[in-house]
Amino acid sequence: MRTINMRTALLEALNEEMERDETTLVFGEDVGKFGGINKVTEGLYEKYGNRVFDTPIAEPTIVAAAVGMAITGNARPVPELQFGDFAGIAFDEIFNKMGKWRFMHGGQMEMPITLRLPVGIAGGAGPEHSQSPQALFMHGPGLQIVIPSTPYDAKGLLKTAIRDNNAVLFFEHKLLYDMKGEVPEEEYLIPFGKADIKREGSDVTVIATALQVHTALEAAEELAADGTEVEVVDPRTLAPLDMETILSSVRKTGRVLIVHEESKTGGSGAEIAAQIQEEALFDLAAPIRRIGSPDVPIAQNIYLEQFYRPSKEQIVQAVNELMEY
Amino acid sequence: MAEIYKKETQLKDYSKDVLLDFYRTMVKIRKFDEHLIRLMQEGKVSGFYHSGIGSEGLSAGSIRNVLRDEDYIYYNHRGCNQKIAKGVPLSKIYGDFLGTTEGTTRGLGAGIVHSADPSRGVLGQAGTIGSQLGIGIGTAYASKFKGTDQVTVIYFGDGAASREMLHGSLNWAGLYNLPVIYICENNEYAISCHVSETHAVKEHIADWAYGYGISNCVVDGNDVLLMHEATKEAVERAKRGEGPTFIEAQTFRHRGHFEGDPYDYVDGELLKDWKENKDPIRNFVSRMLLDKIAEKQELKTIDQEVEQEILEAIEKAESAPQPEAGRIYEGLFA
Ligand SMILES: Cc1ncc(C[n+]2csc(CCOP(=O)(O)OP(=O)(O)O)c2C)c(N)n1
Ligand SMILES: [Mg+2]
Repeated sequence: MRTINMRTALLEALNEEMERDETTLVFGEDVGKFGGINKVTEGLYEKYGNRVFDTPIAEPTIVAAAVGMAITGNARPVPELQFGDFAGIAFDEIFNKMGKWRFMHGGQMEMPITLRLPVGIAGGAGPEHSQSPQALFMHGPGLQIVIPSTPYDAKGLLKTAIRDNNAVLFFEHKLLYDMKGEVPEEEYLIPFGKADIKREGSDVTVIATALQVHTALEAAEELAADGTEVEVVDPRTLAPLDMETILSSVRKTGRVLIVHEESKTGGSGAEIAAQIQEEALFDLAAPIRRIGSPDVPIAQNIYLEQFYRPSKEQIVQAVNELMEY
Repeated sequence: MAEIYKKETQLKDYSKDVLLDFYRTMVKIRKFDEHLIRLMQEGKVSGFYHSGIGSEGLSAGSIRNVLRDEDYIYYNHRGCNQKIAKGVPLSKIYGDFLGTTEGTTRGLGAGIVHSADPSRGVLGQAGTIGSQLGIGIGTAYASKFKGTDQVTVIYFGDGAASREMLHGSLNWAGLYNLPVIYICENNEYAISCHVSETHAVKEHIADWAYGYGISNCVVDGNDVLLMHEATKEAVERAKRGEGPTFIEAQTFRHRGHFEGDPYDYVDGELLKDWKENKDPIRNFVSRMLLDKIAEKQELKTIDQEVEQEILEAIEKAESAPQPEAGRIYEGLFA
């Protein structure tokens, strides 16, 4: 099978969906002629003209306008914020409007929005351009949360997101844009709420998202050499969350480690851990462990960055500790 | 609507010291930037850098010889122009880029934003451009509340001016008659977008200030003296208790939005014109030589002194250590 990077996979999904439904609109800062600061929308403006447009620097208006477009049924907006951190600027528009408008008005309208949000620590970008805020939105009803780890998942999930008639927050880890993986030429979709087992194992379940899936796989490789078989589960969507797959893995291994780049307190791992213990406490042989980034703002200093990003060494150590129970 | 700020400036109306101070500051800003880019190319500095080369006159003119240490500024993300003009030690700014303990953040690293020096009225900057428009209003409100004559100057780009926050800020400034000066560094572009593609204005961004009853003007930001005069009037207005001023200062980036930007969305001839005919430093030098304020040699000596000062600052910043890992756990709360 051919291999392409995640940026190309995302661009293919945008292209195919814009082709398929001509009400699909792409907009945001520098997404037109410039092709987006991460070059995910490159070439779309040339191809689709006014269906791709640059907006003023005004994140609340970008999201609010998407809501206003979506609820008419005349448009399927796919806006981009340059950094997922800027969800904070448009918080009301995302949390209260995208997420609640339909329900508040008795379900009379649809909300076919896919808001693309690049996230993650990536080379000294500092406290306001490096965060992973996805868990904030798990707390907000009405929002679906996608966080792919591979080009294959990214493409299939973005296509599903765009076709979906409900609001989607689509988080893209910036360090994954250049990462390559197998993606078939033929069209495919990946449903929401379907976790993917990235590696099978019988001793410990490691639940990881985005870049951390790859770190977990590296750790699993190393642990396997010492005879510990790790199962790596990638939820792919945090809302809806595929507890069925997670629980069946947990029941098999009895040991759980959750790894993400979100800060530890109140990260998505907190919710996942809570749900696991509600359903499977007595299947556990050890307490659930979590690794997240420290609960302090992300320093710009690239030397200090390494102390935020969960490492292979941390995962190996945590798995070994779980194996002592 | 907003008027073009016009005034015949004469070099003889300024002392030689003041003129040479403007010159020295502009050279410092430019050389600081050039050396920082070199450090980036050497792989010593990571993250984004948005060069401030080409707009030195705007910052030197609006800060030197008009703002005091106790006056506040919120700098924008382009270059280190305003921080340098306000007197933040160069070694501390380099320290923030190099991530050493010499930096104002004692090693956290700050890059283009987040350096702070409260002792010189530099209260920091937002990574989300334009957020200073709201924060600066609070700072001006606090000065008024306390009854001081401190002035707050908020710098922001044309792009940041499209943030919703600008309108909330202008409304407060006008409503509470605050001692605040908005300086919109209009270099025509926000990353790849020309201001005409993203702003609904009659003619100028400064036109918006009219609706809020705020004094305003459009000024050639590359003319250091004109910039100085416009700001001085605004500062005096604020100190008299007559409230805010909005200055739109016209300039242009010599380099792309960030280091590495191909900068191919700007017409080559236009860029050449700005570089060759509208360079703030070059034009100021011509005027000084023409009016015989200084000899070529005297200016050259200043250049050499500045170069030396910068090399020493880099040396100091580079020789300081990286912080300990535990640094990230310090300073979240007072
Ligand atoms: C709120 C927010 N939106 C977007 C960005 C990303 N960004 C950084 S600089 C910039 C362009 C700024 O243009 P302008 O204000 O004109 O300043 P210039 O870079 O031209 O000096 C953008 C979009 C940001 N940092 N903050
Ligand atoms: Mg600009």
